[in-house]
Amino acid sequence: MDMDIACPRCKTTKYRNPSLKLLVNVCGHGLCESCVDLLFLKGSGNCPECGVALRRSNFRVQLFEDSQVEKEVDIRRRVLRDFNKKEEDFATLRDYNDYLEEVETIIFNLVNNIDQLETNKKIEKFKKENRELILKNKARAGREEAELEALLEQEAAMEEARRAQLAMEEKEEKRRKIRNKEALIDELMFSTGNARNIVQTFAESRAQDAASQAAQASSVPAPAVRATQFSTGIQIGRGSGHVEFLPVPRTDDTPLFHYEPPQRIFDGPAPPTLLDVDQNGFLAHIRSASEEERAGGYNSNISCLRALEEAMSGLYYRAHRGEAVF
Amino acid sequence: MEDRLRRYEKIEFLGEGQFATVYKARDTHSDNIVAVKKIKIGSRADAKDGIHRTALREIKLLQELHHQNIIGLLDVFGHMSNVSLVFDFMDYDMEVVIKDTSIVLSPANIKSYMLQTLQGLEYLHNNWILHRDLKPNNLLVNSEGILKIGDFGLAKFFGSPNRVYTHQVVTRWYRAPELLYGARMYGTSVDIWALGCILAELLLRVPFLPGETDLDQLTRIFSVMGTPTEESWPGLTLLQDYIQFKPMPSQPLRHIFSAAGDDLLHLISSLLTVNPLGRCTCEQALQMEYFSNKPAPTPGPQLPLPSSINRKQEERPSLKRKLLDAVDGGSLAKKLIF
Repeated sequence: MDMDIACPRCKTTKYRNPSLKLLVNVCGHGLCESCVDLLFLKGSGNCPECGVALRRSNFRVQLFEDSQVEKEVDIRRRVLRDFNKKEEDFATLRDYNDYLEEVETIIFNLVNNIDQLETNKKIEKFKKENRELILKNKARAGREEAELEALLEQEAAMEEARRAQLAMEEKEEKRRKIRNKEALIDELMFSTGNARNIVQTFAESRAQDAASQAAQASSVPAPAVRATQFSTGIQIGRGSGHVEFLPVPRTDDTPLFHYEPPQRIFDGPAPPTLLDVDQNGFLAHIRSASEEERAGGYNSNISCLRALEEAMSGLYYRAHRGEAVF
Repeated sequence: MEDRLRRYEKIEFLGEGQFATVYKARDTHSDNIVAVKKIKIGSRADAKDGIHRTALREIKLLQELHHQNIIGLLDVFGHMSNVSLVFDFMDYDMEVVIKDTSIVLSPANIKSYMLQTLQGLEYLHNNWILHRDLKPNNLLVNSEGILKIGDFGLAKFFGSPNRVYTHQVVTRWYRAPELLYGARMYGTSVDIWALGCILAELLLRVPFLPGETDLDQLTRIFSVMGTPTEESWPGLTLLQDYIQFKPMPSQPLRHIFSAAGDDLLHLISSLLTVNPLGRCTCEQALQMEYFSNKPAPTPGPQLPLPSSINRKQEERPSLKRKLLDAVDGGSLAKKLIF
């Protein structure tokens, strides 16, 4: 039956091309890899079956035979990415149930092409209204996943340690048995006492040993089971010890900026500042800027200052520079 | 002359612009990495002064400018009819940073970039030079995080009382409203406006006012900043290309830059003041609280590097590219060897 899978476009079957892989896009229609390569050279194109505009990047491996199921899985994933409210986000259970009902309605509508425009609008509206909450829930989901992973890792490590200990105990036990047997044989060979007596005393001591060992094993305190632990004794959640926060940018101690006017070398008497030009009558004898020029951002004090600076710069300049003459 | 030619060893081809080709090269005298910009001869009209006008401007101005945040012109040499300019080698520009979505720009990073740009621009304006083509593409950064203003092809001295300037300067998205209205006499305010657009782009990570035509550009400006009136911008109606726009209210910047603090919003609003005489100067901008407030600007070496710098260009062309080539019949036919 696996061999019957065929690409609807090029009709290649799994039988003819064992490496055939069907990909699906949002519309749910399948297409084989080479057809996708061919049709979506430019990154986007239309589905050959239903004509919906598709993007190449949205193609993924088909998981279900029924394209309807495939489509629903895809839509559900997309919708739930935004509709990620939790029960805690609602005041009452009823509200939460209503919310879940609404999500299902939206998914159903999208899958069956009912009121698509309306539904999409609804999604957009929800997204806009709950942007912050969605982001927060996304961050939380990410964090929970990381925690779970850490938990699993820890559990695996503990399991490993326990297995190693068991193996060691077993080996120890075996060695002791061998030693006991040897001692018994030695005793039987070299002792002058009654063989039956010897065997009996050995059996007794062995029984004692076993009993003491059992007692020891039971005296090892079973790990106290709290609500924050799995049965393996691994802690759940951020209960005790370390508390994780969202990353806060490290405050560093780089120096703050303080403005210092740049040093300017004129090799001449200090020219007036723009303020001097404005206030001390420098502008009295030059053409003042027309209103049009001023509207363009030009002002006569600019050219006045430049003329003054240029007139004064270099007056003290001498060939071996650095020393100004006064 | 001959040893000048041999002094710079070409390492790789970096890019080609309208007027020049740029190579990465090694200076054999100092062993530094430099960028060599080989000026194209261009059309007869372009070259009527013997050399392209933009190159002439760059040589003339940059020879006298020495500042940490201005691209350094290290050498100029010619061979036959070619002229080549040797610059500091810069690893990437702000456009790369803005477009690289893997880079997260912290407020401290943005402050550092703005601070360096403003310091460079202040030096230019103090020396009576307008850059006239400020855009992210022309703000170059090296691997130590030092930002330098580059491309002086449109730069010009300003502050002459009777010289008329062209208003067809600055890439449209960064062009100030007075230039769009055809002002022929203008000042440092054109550079400040461009800087405001760059700051907005750093915050938004998309061009702030991507106008499609000059008219569309003005519409976009006024829809954000509000339509100017004769009161808010005296003399506005006298400008050569003045067009009456329907009155639009200004939008609160707080809504556009929702992540920006009050000090930053103040800086943005003074850089993007529609009336050029009301716009702040570099000196005023640098004295604003935004720069002295926390967070402190990120020191250069800690600025984020674009992934293209870390990653070597060893990646194979993608399958898609290959297929496209095959469709166009672009690649040569394979030779069959028996």
